Amino acid sequence: MQNFDLLLLTAIIFLPATWAVPLLFFPKSAVEAMRWWTLAGTAITFGLTLVLWGKVDFSSPDMQLVVAVPWIEPWNIAYRLGVDGISLPLIVLTSGVCLLSMLASWSVDKQVKGYLILFLLLETGILGVFLALDFFLFFIFWEVMLLPMYFLIGVWGGPRREYAAIKFFLYTFVGSVLMLVAMLMLYFEGGYTFDLMRLAAIGEGRIDGLQFSRSFQIVTFWLLAIGFAIKLPVAPLHTWLPDAHVEAPTPISMILAGVLLKLGGYGFLRIALPICPYGTQAAAWALVGFGVFSILYGGLAALAQTDFKRLVAYSSVSHMGFVLIGLGCWKISEQTGMGVGLKHWEMGLHAALFQMIAHGITSTGMFFMVGVLYDRVHHRDLNRFGGIANRMPEYAGLAAVLFFAGLGLPALCGFIGEVFAILAVWNYSPLAAVLSALGMILAAAYVLWTVQRVYLGSEYHGPLAENLTALLPRERFVAYVLSILAIVFGVLPNLLLSRMQPPLHQLVIRMDEAYRGLHQVLASIGQAGGG
Amino acid sequence: MDGVGLEAYLIVGAILFGCGFACLLVKRNAIAILMGVELLLNGANLNFLAFARFTSLGLDGQVIGLFVIVLAAAEAAVALAIALNFYNNHLSIDVDSAKELKD
Amino acid sequence: MPETAETSHLIVRNLLTAAWLLPLAAFIAQVYAVECWSNRLSRASGLLGCAAIGGSLVLSLLAVAFFPSGSGSAHTADDGSNHAAVDAEHEAHPSATPAALAGRYYTLARFGDSRLELGWYVDSLTLVLFVVIGLIASCVHVFSLGYLDDERTEDYRDEHAHAGDEQPVSRAGRFHLFFAYLSLFCFSMFGLVLAGNLLQVFAFWELVGFCSYLLIGFYRERPSAVRAANKAILVNRVGDFGFLIGLAVLWTSVGTLQFATEVDSKGVTASGLFEQVRGDGQLELSDDSKSVVLQRHLEAGDEPAPTRPTIAYTLFVLAGLGIVAGSIGKSAQFPLQTWLPDAMEGPTPVSALVHSATMVAAGVYLVARCYPLLAPEVLLVVAYVGAATLFIGATIALTATELKQVLAFSTISQLGYMMLALGVGGWGAGVFHLSTHAFFKSLLFLSAGSVILACHHEQRLDRLGGLRHRLPWTAAAMLIGTLAVTGVGIPNPWAPGYSLALSGFHSKDMVLASALAFVRLNPLHSLLYLVPLAGAGITAVYMFRLWLKVFVGRPADQHVFEHAKESPPVVLIPLAVLAFFSVFSAVGGESSWLYRGLVTSEPAFVAASSTSSAIWPITHPGHEEIHAAHGAAGLMVWLVAMAGAGIAIWIFGYQPFSADELRATFPRLRQFLLDRWRFDALYDLAVVQPVLRISRQAIAIDRTVIDPLLHGASRLLVQLAGWGRRIDELLVDGAVVGIGAWTWRSGERLRRLQSGQLRQYVLWLGLSVVVLFGVVTWMRPG
Repeated sequence: MQNFDLLLLTAIIFLPATWAVPLLFFPKSAVEAMRWWTLAGTAITFGLTLVLWGKVDFSSPDMQLVVAVPWIEPWNIAYRLGVDGISLPLIVLTSGVCLLSMLASWSVDKQVKGYLILFLLLETGILGVFLALDFFLFFIFWEVMLLPMYFLIGVWGGPRREYAAIKFFLYTFVGSVLMLVAMLMLYFEGGYTFDLMRLAAIGEGRIDGLQFSRSFQIVTFWLLAIGFAIKLPVAPLHTWLPDAHVEAPTPISMILAGVLLKLGGYGFLRIALPICPYGTQAAAWALVGFGVFSILYGGLAALAQTDFKRLVAYSSVSHMGFVLIGLGCWKISEQTGMGVGLKHWEMGLHAALFQMIAHGITSTGMFFMVGVLYDRVHHRDLNRFGGIANRMPEYAGLAAVLFFAGLGLPALCGFIGEVFAILAVWNYSPLAAVLSALGMILAAAYVLWTVQRVYLGSEYHGPLAENLTALLPRERFVAYVLSILAIVFGVLPNLLLSRMQPPLHQLVIRMDEAYRGLHQVLASIGQAGGG
Repeated sequence: MDGVGLEAYLIVGAILFGCGFACLLVKRNAIAILMGVELLLNGANLNFLAFARFTSLGLDGQVIGLFVIVLAAAEAAVALAIALNFYNNHLSIDVDSAKELKD
Repeated sequence: MPETAETSHLIVRNLLTAAWLLPLAAFIAQVYAVECWSNRLSRASGLLGCAAIGGSLVLSLLAVAFFPSGSGSAHTADDGSNHAAVDAEHEAHPSATPAALAGRYYTLARFGDSRLELGWYVDSLTLVLFVVIGLIASCVHVFSLGYLDDERTEDYRDEHAHAGDEQPVSRAGRFHLFFAYLSLFCFSMFGLVLAGNLLQVFAFWELVGFCSYLLIGFYRERPSAVRAANKAILVNRVGDFGFLIGLAVLWTSVGTLQFATEVDSKGVTASGLFEQVRGDGQLELSDDSKSVVLQRHLEAGDEPAPTRPTIAYTLFVLAGLGIVAGSIGKSAQFPLQTWLPDAMEGPTPVSALVHSATMVAAGVYLVARCYPLLAPEVLLVVAYVGAATLFIGATIALTATELKQVLAFSTISQLGYMMLALGVGGWGAGVFHLSTHAFFKSLLFLSAGSVILACHHEQRLDRLGGLRHRLPWTAAAMLIGTLAVTGVGIPNPWAPGYSLALSGFHSKDMVLASALAFVRLNPLHSLLYLVPLAGAGITAVYMFRLWLKVFVGRPADQHVFEHAKESPPVVLIPLAVLAFFSVFSAVGGESSWLYRGLVTSEPAFVAASSTSSAIWPITHPGHEEIHAAHGAAGLMVWLVAMAGAGIAIWIFGYQPFSADELRATFPRLRQFLLDRWRFDALYDLAVVQPVLRISRQAIAIDRTVIDPLLHGASRLLVQLAGWGRRIDELLVDGAVVGIGAWTWRSGERLRRLQSGQLRQYVLWLGLSVVVLFGVVTWMRPG
């Protein structure tokens, strides 16, 4: 069984990259064949992740299908993989979004072979990050993902693609460097290991005689948090995002918003939180504070946009703020170090993870919908649309579903994450809850205003009106899949929430214990000093 | 024979070597230089044999001596061929006229 | 009889669930009507919608029949122990709200011991609203078949929307879509009423708002309609913001959002909100009056915990205010009333269904449903908000110039009455008025729709007139509605319930009686009686003004008048049905079937007079006090209403002044009212513009602060790199190049040794050997 697990996980990660090799031997003119070939690759990967979904026992809070093959033994680095209820939804989301954005990639005409190869490499990188349980491996995949993205933006992007690509690269790279520093600190402090589960056990004080000190945890947490916050992104570290989104081709925007941003949140949940419980608690105010700031800032900035894609990009900033407040709303009692209303923090973590999935669906959909229009009329100026609902009724209906899911309309997936996050954060800070609830008003404002300017109204104001034709079957498929998912997860959130619950619950319990342990030490020192 | 020690052989060898070296320095005739080289080689050869006789070098010294003789013969053959060729090119065997190496 | 209780429980659940989901099924079918099985000329979508909502109505009526009636009208404060209805999994626990059935469909999420779920909660209020919504929605559906008949075309010309070339916009008809939206709305509205917990209420609350958005913006080619739709949702979101805060407070402090106490299959009892907050009656305050003690259900044998959970009184008030904020938004109360008049941009049947009878009443429903959760201080706020709203709405209605605008402001004003009634402790009066108002206001709107249809979408009052000759049936229907809303009747001061009057008379009577009883107990708040009393007079004035201007007098526009013709039966029959209910639904007043049914759901603590003194003392009247005030209040409101009607008939019927004279009387007051108390301008100035400005600033910050910082950093980096390059060039490269050059030069020099002289080489060789030999000898150790 062990071997089969290893094979399955490895296949999921490396199938896309391997699939890219035969692409080299396709004749340059066989564009259509290459696309179908790549589509088949992403589809098989998606199928494999579904197999994985079937194999995982969701009632267990522990890491499953754990495999470890020694890799660079002198440094204790292993090829260590595994999944649990936290990563698996994101893995399936990734392979699904890649499949859908591959379907959207038919609109890319330039140097198709190179594009497809990079696309597959990107998928390998992302899946690797979600599956890796070794910090070194994690880091490698993190970087592997960065380069294809850089080229995909820089070569296939819009007019300012070089600027956007470099900005994206620099921002992310700064984050990577901080992460690298943290990684090495943990390696040496944690007894020469990169094993994330062991590091988490040390951080959570579950290993006798080995515990990261408080100041160490705080420094490490901040290093990691800045790295992940750039990816998330958190205002004010977000300015790479609008440029990257606007310049990237539609399918890459879909992956960027749908999956890449989640890596930041996943990094928090998998690495920063469990390894540095004390650091997390010490920085909880910052997580919530910056989360609220992102919500409001992203919403306000979205309100003033005239570029359709830029608007969606800023809405992402706003939505990912909810992830951050959900992660950070861990309230403790200053005297005893006991968690106050831990169940609300658990709810916040659920909300954060759910919001990641939900945003993966809605923002993918929104970017796709923008792309559908852009493919037809080749502009994105919000003030030069109008009347699309009459020209493309089916498209407008589906777009409305996705945009209103972004607005947080009940029965659509955006509602659950946002409302749960707000309900959860009240326990931590009523002010934060109030301010983030204001963010929902802003979301309504910018979504409605956009819908008004693009879909409603009497006539289309822009150029190339004759190109506004009905959806192609391929586009219709993507739009329906995303809309249906948005509805399903909005109506039955427990499909996901119940599967996330065991690992998140365990995380909360363990972090609470770890914090209490350190807090007691602190208190006794304080007493000794005072006495 | 017993009175003749190592030093005597070495002195003879050194004289032979010195003569050969002087020959190399003063003669311009290629054949004469060749003969000087033979003297050099044989001077060295004598040393080998002497060391073979008087030190722990043993048979190895005699073998090397044989090698040197063979080598000298081969060298003479090659050198004579070069000299012949040199003469064909320069109509002389004066080595001072051979300056092509400089360029 | 546990078995029958269990069966009836299941039957009621299944009936109402079916009634709830039927419109959803219809919606899905209707959305794809054009593409899949119909065309734009077909009526099928409309008929399907009618069938679905008709089915819902029938199912709701059946549910009423099956509802356990043992707990019916014989309601007293202490009877909360004997009608627990049990089903296999759940039990509606006897609590402050008797005669309620509740249960769970499925779980949304579970965190620790708290759970969020999709559930249902049925009491007589739910049932009455199901029937009222079903009835009115059925009428509106049928009416819409006639009203939107001109949408059944491939080429609909919208005279109110213009393309760039000033031509009317031509578009495909959207008959099927209209009914789809209506179905979706009915589904959401039923869901709102059926909801078993506050989160679910909130979800459907937003959904009805969304449906209202779709319906207001139905004529999406008209900029004004789209603007109105956006405004509706945004203003509502402001209220929902408060609602969400209220939810967060309750969720955090009480730990559940469930209305009813539930027992799950393992026998674990989860106390609902009502039980926790009110227990079996009054709020239980802690000793210092700073917090409310929560009543958690105890298992048999459990000892009461030494410290029981509490919620700080300020938080409790905040939660109540949050819920009320939601109501204020949805029910268009002061200060968020501005969206409702604009919402009249939607088709008239929508105004009748969504924006008068059902959705806007949801705010009132919410306050009524959450009554046990509202502190007396919150109720006082509700009362004052209601009073302010009813006055503002009524005054603006006096000068409104369009048919539907008058009705919209009248709706706002009447909703104010309901809020006022709830706020002063007249729970029954509030929901009673809610039900009767639904009938007569939808009647008024549908009549208005009939007028608009007949006059080809002319609804400006100064272009209508004398239409009773052309539209006799519509005129009669509207007169009934007018009389109902005005509260005209022949009162019977000794037995108010047996007055000869229309439904509005009875319900408004009850509202005023509650207010009077409250004012008698709290003289400080006398305004709460005087304002609605004055409002009743103003109501009479504007309603009669409306009716007279439309149906009496000389036709202002001959063209309109001559082309007007009575609407077809499909339009008139719904009017007749609604007229019937407007007249008879409240016969008997306090002893009417409707009122007695409603008050079975009344929270137990309302029945008796109670004084609360947490912050400042407020005494709420009980049933007895209200009953005692009934006669006096009824007589006064009747007098005021008749006076108002008389004034209106004198001014607008006999027309002693010309229109211009009237306009010139109070020009500034008139302009103030025409500007709707300038709320829109105020909000634009105080909220909308600043937000837009800040949002532009936000981008500007991105462009002028963050990006420049980044650019600065990268420029600094380039600078640094430049220095690095210079260092490279000067030092490192210099060294490398220098070494190379030196080597070259040395080689050049050494070259001279290569003379080519063979014998010279030999000499060098010899000398070198000698030198080396010397060096070795000299260096040799020892």
